[in-house]
Formats: sequence, structure tokens, C-alpha cells
Amino acid sequence: MNIVVPVKLVPDLVEELEIDESGAALDTTWMRLMVNEFDDHAVEQAILLKERGGGQVTILAPDAEDVDDVLFTAAAKGADRLIKITGPFEEQVNNHALARSLAAVVEELQPDLVLTGVQAHNDLDGPVGPLLAEYLGMPYVGYVSGVTASDGNVVAQKEYPGGLLAEMEVALPAVLGIQAAEEPPRYVAFSRVRQAMKSADISEQAVAELDLSGSPTVGRMFQPEAGERATMIEGDEDEVATRLVEIFKDAGVL
Amino acid sequence: MPERADFWGIPHTWGPPEIYAYTLMGLATLVLLFRFYRRVSLWWQVGRPEMRWDQLQVRLGRLIRYAIVQTRVLRQEYPGVMHAGLAWGFFVFFLGTALATIHSHFFEFLRGNIYLLYKFVLDTFTIFFIVGAALAAYRRFVQRPRRLTLQNRFTWSLVLVVGIVAGGLLVESLRLAVERPEWALWTPAGWLVAQAWIATGASDATLTNWHLGAWILHLLTVVLLFVTLPATTLLHLFTGPLNAFFSKLDRPMGQLAPIAETSQSEPVYVSTLRDLTWKQLLDSDACTECGRCQDACPAFAAGTPLSPKELIVGLRDALGRDGPALVNGNGKAPALVGETIADAVLWSCTTCGACVRECPVLIEHVDTIVDMRRHLVIEGQVDTELQDALANLGRYGNSFGKSGRARARWSRKIKPKIKDARKEPVEHLWFVGDYASYSPTVTDITQMTAEVFRKAGLDFGIMYDAERHSGNDVRRVGEEGLFEMLVEENTAALSKCSYEAIVTTDPHTYNALKHEYPAEVNGTRPVLHYAELLDQMIASGQLKFSKKLGYKVTYHDPCYLGRYNGVYDAPRRVIEATGCELVEMPRHSDRAFCCGAGGGRIWMDEGEIEERPSEARIREAVDLDGVTAFVVACPKDVTMYQDAVKTTGHEARLVVKDLIELVHEAM
Repeated sequence: MNIVVPVKLVPDLVEELEIDESGAALDTTWMRLMVNEFDDHAVEQAILLKERGGGQVTILAPDAEDVDDVLFTAAAKGADRLIKITGPFEEQVNNHALARSLAAVVEELQPDLVLTGVQAHNDLDGPVGPLLAEYLGMPYVGYVSGVTASDGNVVAQKEYPGGLLAEMEVALPAVLGIQAAEEPPRYVAFSRVRQAMKSADISEQAVAELDLSGSPTVGRMFQPEAGERATMIEGDEDEVATRLVEIFKDAGVL
Repeated sequence: MPERADFWGIPHTWGPPEIYAYTLMGLATLVLLFRFYRRVSLWWQVGRPEMRWDQLQVRLGRLIRYAIVQTRVLRQEYPGVMHAGLAWGFFVFFLGTALATIHSHFFEFLRGNIYLLYKFVLDTFTIFFIVGAALAAYRRFVQRPRRLTLQNRFTWSLVLVVGIVAGGLLVESLRLAVERPEWALWTPAGWLVAQAWIATGASDATLTNWHLGAWILHLLTVVLLFVTLPATTLLHLFTGPLNAFFSKLDRPMGQLAPIAETSQSEPVYVSTLRDLTWKQLLDSDACTECGRCQDACPAFAAGTPLSPKELIVGLRDALGRDGPALVNGNGKAPALVGETIADAVLWSCTTCGACVRECPVLIEHVDTIVDMRRHLVIEGQVDTELQDALANLGRYGNSFGKSGRARARWSRKIKPKIKDARKEPVEHLWFVGDYASYSPTVTDITQMTAEVFRKAGLDFGIMYDAERHSGNDVRRVGEEGLFEMLVEENTAALSKCSYEAIVTTDPHTYNALKHEYPAEVNGTRPVLHYAELLDQMIASGQLKFSKKLGYKVTYHDPCYLGRYNGVYDAPRRVIEATGCELVEMPRHSDRAFCCGAGGGRIWMDEGEIEERPSEARIREAVDLDGVTAFVVACPKDVTMYQDAVKTTGHEARLVVKDLIELVHEAM
């Protein structure tokens, strides 16, 4: 099976995030990027499928700082082909534009299955998966936590809120949004990654122009602000309750 | 004049006794050597090569110290005396027999006073041997400590050696009963037994016949010993001394060997017998199953699946089972790690080194465990908690998963700002370490350390966000690639700083910087633990105290400061200088009991355990009369023991104090 896994890098939330001068985007000067956690699960699921039934795994990633490390790590886990999509990705890019650029590359690869993370914490205009499926004209199932391949189709295990599980048969080729791989992403020793750096190749595919259309415009981005009307109510239960009722009445909700 | 009589009372009916006695013994020796060779040749036929032939005089010294004098064996009273009685007895009897042979055939000297002395020494050791054998029997059949392997093969060996010595005593006493020499009191044990024969009233001829029987029995048991020795537990008579002789000299205890490479420069990860070196296989054959390692092991005490003894015995059994087939070229080496030795066994080790320190035959358990862990890591077989920690260490340079830029956040409150060693020269570069930098329970102690340093007028600085985890426990987890990366990053950062010495509060960091970093870091400039630095400053008068604290305290030796680096006295002198009374726990200094955090255990799921080592340790301290403070000299210990004091419910009784807290208070 020919599996393609588009991954993207997202801001590392461990580092402090700052808003840039425009007030509508993150300041990239201090920002550190890391692989989107769900994409990491998509990579793992792809490798598991390959280990079980054979095939080829291709990892796609738009260019970003440290993207090579992410690609080599995937190679160390067992990915066969690494493709870096170069283009004007340093600028603010939305998922519509990203999905369009990915679609062009994915189409050429003629995959049986496209696995991608179900979401990312910086998806401001919807996740990549459904957009990509739309541009490729393939079916999409999201929130998938297990995939079994059979002849010409796959059975995807989809998670619903409340612990409900569904099994869906999906005709190939298809795009699946991975919520969790069947097993947690494996550990790759540093020397394995270093080895991959020597042995694996990253091919580059250029995207000349990005089509940003279809995405909402960000008006303002800001750190969570403390509510101005917050009041601490002190006293015992009765006093607090009485005071609460007064406040609700004043606010006109009671 | 008393003189030794050769083959007294042995008839020449079957020809001269020398001929058949020596022929029999010669054949037995050949069988012994052949069987021994068959066993030990597996070491180098199965195992990889390793250089252990250098510095022969040092090795000979170790052989004398550990195999003949047996200093390690003697570290424990009961088994020490027991073993010394048996072992020294046997040495002396062997030597005595050799001297008798020299006397008979080469140079007659066993006459007069020399002969009396000879007899007296041999007889004294007979008594000593009997004491040892009695202690051994009592231990094996009555005491039955858990650490012993209670199997018949050990009983067999004991019976055999006792039989040989008893036979010798029988022969001697019967001869004395017939001859009744006037110097008989020089052989007290033999003379005592002879009284029994005399009391039977048997004639000299009868006694001489009994003597012949005893002599034949004695000869045959010795032959039996020789012929069976390589297959019995007495094999350690040879492998023990060999292991002491070939013990590692090329590096200190605190330095692990890098991953070995094949002749094609491929790294060797230990997963089968083939990947071990011949010395590691010798280790397994040298094990006497005395169980001292198991007794000292915190992982075993906690109820984890690890027993260092069983681990080594497992290797030995695997060698016996699979070794011959491997040598004959029958197929691939079967998996060792994951089969004979379960992953959980390897992950349970805290690398505290208590087993290594205790082993009478100098087995190197920890090195082998780390070698096998390296295999598990390269195969990605690590638990999720450890995986997260390693990923964090790789990405942020700390196991906490916090931003590398937040490393020196603890220092913000300190005014004026602590010198940045990257920007200005300092006398002491303070390598703060992960726990002291990031752990919320330790940062106030870190701030206090800065305050003490400053008050004492120390010229010091830190590397701020350029510092990374030292990698000590990363290496011990088996993640050699990540360890190398951390070493590279720290070394690069250190090379940009101007300093005269490195100081750290963390024993793990101390060990790595001191033993595992390149010479540009530790070659010419000292690496100090703060206990050493404080001790120096007290001695020089730079650090002065204004009051005597008067607390009754106990002190916990961190594994990587004590056992690994021999720093026992400095922290104790500092404690005493603050005016505290130090009461030692039963397990202290090189016998100190590990907190359970080392070797990367602090990053792993603790698994199913019966009692945390830290809790056992706190109970040990609480048993000390009147001790109110548990003094530590390691940031990890602060968190480990503060937790343990709470979980054991001893908060009212005992308080965990860092060494620096005492110093700070006494200043």
C-alpha cells in the first residue's frame, strides 16, 4: 500500500508565545516549532500499516525551521520517502493554502491512503485533512484511532465523544484524520536519527505560489485577558450565596 | 628428631604407593584441566574480544587482595569468617601437600622444629576449617537466608570438602594413635581425635588397617573433587581469582565504556550471548551465588523483578545452555534480552553500584545492565514516561519538558544578578543541573546555595540557558546518542567560558563532568561537589560560622558521590562544622542505601513494588534515637526523601535538610 503522510510543524507551546507588531499573528522571532502531535500519530499509524502489510510510506512536510529533523526522525522510524515542499511558507500560511499545495504533490504520488493528524492547535481555518480530501476528491474520515487494511479498502476505527466507537469501511484512495495511532508513537534513539541523516534523502518540491483564499482573516490575536469585572466574594456559604443573588439581580440575569 | 614419614603405613603390595597415588592424581588433574578448558573456552569462543591483559602487577595485586586475602569476603562478619575458614584452610592444606611432595622427592626439610611448625600450622587450620564448615552448615540448613541459593549442588560441595578434610584428619589421627610421638601436642586436632582411637583399645595392626582404609578414602575423595570440580559450585576456586585478575582497570567506576564496535565499525548492542565480551561471560561463571549483591540491591528490596544475582546466574545458565551449540556453529544466537533476561529486570536497576561494591569476585553488573539497556533503547523498547523524559531532554535539554530559556528562572530573585560565566570570567563555574534548576521543591535550596556562595565571597557564575542536562543518567538509561549530544552541547558552552573550577550540587552531574566529559572540561581544572567546596572553604577559613546548630542529624550518602566517587568525609566534616551531631544509619558510606532515583529510574514508571527504597531509607533513619534531620547532598534526594517522609507519615519526626540549609543556618 502506498501511504502518504502530510505533516506540519506547529509552534511549541512549551516556549513563551508572543504576538507580533501587527497584533494579528504570533511573533516568529522567538518561536520554536515542533511536529504537530496528531501528525506524529499519523506517521506511527502509517508505519504500523507498513509493518503489518508492507508498502511504502512517504512523508510530506512544508518547509520550516527544523523540518529536516522531523523528516529524518520519521525515516528512522521506517518511512521510505521524505519530501519537503518548499515555497513561501515562512509567511503566514493558512490551512486552505497548505492543503492546496499538498494536494498538488499528493496527487502525483498516487497514494492508496493519505493519513494526517486530525487537527493541530494552530488550525485557525479548519483542519488540513478534510480540505485536502476535498481538493483531491477523496473520501475523508476524521477522529480515527485505528486502521485495518483489506483489499481495496480500509476499515477505520472512529472515536465519538462519550467513548463510542464506530468501524467504517472506506473505499480507497481516501484521506483519514488520525486522532491516535493504535500504539503510542515509538521512541527513536538519537543515534538512529543521526544514522538516518546520513542515509536518507530529502527530496524537495517547490510550490511557486500560495492560494490563501477561503480562509477567514484574523483581526486580532491576544493573550488571554483577565476579566475586568471579576470580584472575589468572601465570607461563609450563606453570605456568598446572598451576595451572588444580589450580583445576578444587578446584572439583570435574575 | 621428629621427621615426616612418606606414605606411612601404606603397604607396597601393589608397588610403591607414590606410583599409583601420583598416577591417579595426575589423571584426575588432566580430567580437571580438560573439563575446565571446555567450560572456559566458551568465554572467548562465544564472547567478543576485550583487552584485559595490561598492568599485570596491578592485576596480580588485585588477585592477592580479593582472591587470597579476600578483603571483600571479609567485609561481612559471619560469611566472612565462614568462608575464610574454608578457603584459607584449603589453601594451607594444598600448600602443605605441595611442601610434603617437595620434601619427599626434592629437598628434605620437614624435620625437627620446622616439621613441628608445619604440623602445628596445618592442624590449626584444620580447626579453623571445621569452624568454617560448621558455620556454613548452620547457615545453609538453619539460618537459610533468602539471598542464598538453597540447592543440593552447594550441599554437595560442602560435603565433599568436609569429607576431604575429615579424611585427612582421620589418617593423621590414626597414625598418631599408633605412633604416639612425644611431640603429638603440636598436632592438637589430630591428637585429640587419636585419643578416641586409643580409647577403643584396638591393636596397632588394626589401627594401621583402619589408617589404610582412611588413606584410600582420602585419596579417592580428592580425586573425586578434581574430576567433578569444573561442574560444581567449586568452579569459583578458579573463576573467582580470574575475575579479580581481569577486573577493569581502564576506567573508574563512574565511567561507562562507550558502545563497542565490530571490526566493520558497526555498533554492538547487547541482545545475545555473542554480543557480550569474554569478560562479561567470565563474570557469570565467577558468580558464587553468595547473594551479597541481592542483599544490597535497592531494586530487589523494593520487590522489583531485578536480583543482580539472578541476572548474572541467568547469563551463566544461558552460556551453559546455548554456548556449546554456538561454538559448533549451530545457527543464530538465541535472544538473551527479552527472553532469559526480561526488559523489566533491566529497567529496575538504579545503577547505585551497591552490588558492584559488594561483590567478592568483582563482577561488573551495572556495565552489563547498561549494555543491555542500550539494546532496548535502540529498539525503541522504552516505557512512555521514559520516552517523554528522553524526548524532553533531546528537545529542551531538561527532563522536565520546560523551556531551555527558563533554566535560570530560579535566579531572577537574586540581586545583584549572578554572573554570566559566558560573558565574564569566574573562578567557580556553577553547573546547576536539572533538578536544582527546575524542580519547584528544590529551587529555594538552589537560591540558598547562591546566597551562601555569595556570603562566603566565592567568585562564581552560571551558564544560564546554555546549560543542558549533564547526561549522566541519560547514559545509564542506555541512550548513548542523546548522551553524546548533551556532552557536545555542554562542552561547547563550557568552552566559551573562562573558569578555574566547576562546582555542582548534583552528584550525578558531578560524576558525569568528572569522568565522562572530555579532558578540556575535567583534564586540568577540578570538578567539585559543593560538599567538597564547602569543606575546603571551612578549612581555609573562607567560610565561617556564627553559631552551633546542635541538631542530631543523620546523613545519606548519595550513590554518585559516595560509592562512585569516594566522597564520604567532606560532607561529614561540613555537618560537624555546623555544630550538628552526626549519627550514622546502619547502612552508610559505601554501604549507603540508594534512594531509588538513579540510573534514570526517576523518569520511569515505578511499576509494581512493595516498598519504595526511599521509604525504607526513611524508616532506617527514623529508627535512630533522637535524630531529627535527614541531611542530603543531592537535589534529587531532596524531592525523593521529602516525598518519602510524607508517605511514611514521619513529618512530625524527621525533616529532610539539604547540606546547604545547615550551612546557611549556621552562618
